[in-house]
Amino acid sequence: MLSAVSPLYSASQSRAAQNAAVLVADGIRMAFGGVVALDNVSIAVGVDELLAVIGPNGAGKTSLMNCLSGFYRPQQGEVRFNGSLLSGMGVHHIVKAGLARTFQGTHIFSNMTVIENIMVGRHIHMKSSIPSAFFYFGPCRREEIRHREVVEEIIELLEIESIRHQPVGSLGYGLRKRVDLGRALAQEPSILLMDEPMAGMNTEEKEDLARFILDVREARQIPVVLVEHDMGVVMDLADRIVVLDFGRKIAEGTPLEVQKNPAVLKAYLGEGNR
Amino acid sequence: MDPAGVFATSFERDQALIRTRGQCVALVLLFVALVILPHVLGPRLVAISTNMLIMAVVVIGLQINMGYAGQINLGQAAFMGVGAYATGALAIKFNLPFWLSIPFGGCAAAVFGFIFGLSAVRIKGFYLALTTIAAQTLFHFLILNLPQSWFGGSNGLTLEPAQIFGFSFVSETSIYYLCLAVTAAMVFGAYGIVRSRHGRAFVAVCDDDVASGLMGINVVRTKATAFLIGAFYAGIGGGLWAYYVRFVAVDQFTLFHSIWFIAMVIVGGLGSITGALIGVFVIKAIQESFVTLGPSIVAQFPSLGGDVVFAMMNVFLGGIIAAFLIFEPRGLMHRWNILKRSYRLWPFPY
Repeated sequence: MLSAVSPLYSASQSRAAQNAAVLVADGIRMAFGGVVALDNVSIAVGVDELLAVIGPNGAGKTSLMNCLSGFYRPQQGEVRFNGSLLSGMGVHHIVKAGLARTFQGTHIFSNMTVIENIMVGRHIHMKSSIPSAFFYFGPCRREEIRHREVVEEIIELLEIESIRHQPVGSLGYGLRKRVDLGRALAQEPSILLMDEPMAGMNTEEKEDLARFILDVREARQIPVVLVEHDMGVVMDLADRIVVLDFGRKIAEGTPLEVQKNPAVLKAYLGEGNR
Repeated sequence: MDPAGVFATSFERDQALIRTRGQCVALVLLFVALVILPHVLGPRLVAISTNMLIMAVVVIGLQINMGYAGQINLGQAAFMGVGAYATGALAIKFNLPFWLSIPFGGCAAAVFGFIFGLSAVRIKGFYLALTTIAAQTLFHFLILNLPQSWFGGSNGLTLEPAQIFGFSFVSETSIYYLCLAVTAAMVFGAYGIVRSRHGRAFVAVCDDDVASGLMGINVVRTKATAFLIGAFYAGIGGGLWAYYVRFVAVDQFTLFHSIWFIAMVIVGGLGSITGALIGVFVIKAIQESFVTLGPSIVAQFPSLGGDVVFAMMNVFLGGIIAAFLIFEPRGLMHRWNILKRSYRLWPFPY
């Protein structure tokens, strides 16, 4: 069930979150040729907050996501994660610094089993060298088993025990997204970015995933940035919402504030002649 | 999947490769068979077996590079050649014993392969295949044009037999055992590598390099590492070859050989070490049986003449590869897994 769980979010809390922000984007601009996907967008993700980014089609949500995860290099402005500048870092360094992301659609390793997929998420925490992998028995195997235990905990959290040995390519869409989330969790990130996790899901799958997102927040106490189209999900889950339209930030605030914001209503519903 | 009634009760059990008593028995039997083989078979079959063992090392390297990391490599024979020449040169010039010259030969090949692995960073698919052909050409060019005192130029290198504690590996049987020991160790290592985080990184990069970057995998380094490991295996195989034939020449490592290695990987099944071994066995067995059959066919139909028969053999072998690509592109190992699964589930469909 998507019950209203979002805590009331006062202005003072919001300011506190700004001060202790984990991920800060400051005045970023991103243009592809003549199309300005993001124009002077600034957001800050506070500690332990669920920030949702919404907006009509083509508003620049995924571009923002790609900037935040260091995938795109914004032409202006900067993105800081825990104080360090993201641009100039290789993607795998950003991940090692503690930023994890799930994908729109499925970018899952379909030839691997569920366990192997999540084990790939443990890659950054594993150390065994190629020579020790060659001999396998000994340090390498001990490491494998140690990390396998962590993976099993994630499998339990996401309730995918029964499919753990199945190749991901044979799973349905909802389960793949769950594996994608598990893979991100295996990285033990200090922030989780989710790009349209609910896209293409039916109501039941959406409810499941929403429950898992809440479970993850409870278990890990990490901030989550959620890009999402489904308004019901966003309004129920998010602590704070940022609304984009044509690459600009047009509103920011608690779900209740955003719902009443005239600029948001205009962007979504258009202007009527009353 | 496991047969009914087999349950893993620990993570050690769950990730073990040998899962049932039957598999354990089969493995032991295979070992016993390989050990007594030279005493049972004739010298020609022992020679073929030694050949297969050497090929197995090279093809496992290619399997890691191509089947796991998805980097097409048409230069595996060149990497093998680099290993053979380096081993030969080290043994002749510096009088290194074989247990040092073969690993060093492997390392030399690994460095050579790593250089081409770096090109895989930006190049994919067909274009990468072309780049690795360059490895093949470069190898020939270098060997033939470097000073003759280095690698013997077009004369090749002639080696003394491998020696340890005064025992020299001259006889066909002794060199068979040497190759068996080295191949067994390399196969064991390959299973370790592909099960470790490195093996998973290879498959991840092959499946989706965008997502694997976001898993914290250094895509550039992983691709280059795949080439490095693949070339190391080729180099070890080349070193064994150098001590087996005791003569190294460029025409033993041509593009034609590289293509055969790829055929072995494909027929065996991409992405499986066992598949690579099966591929080597099947292709080599077919090749050798043709070579044996050829003269008798010529004797049967003298009007055809030797030229036609031997040319037709290659056509027929090529046909087998083409048939595999069309009907069983995922190789014999895939078919075996399907059979095993349906046998274990029988009488239920799933």
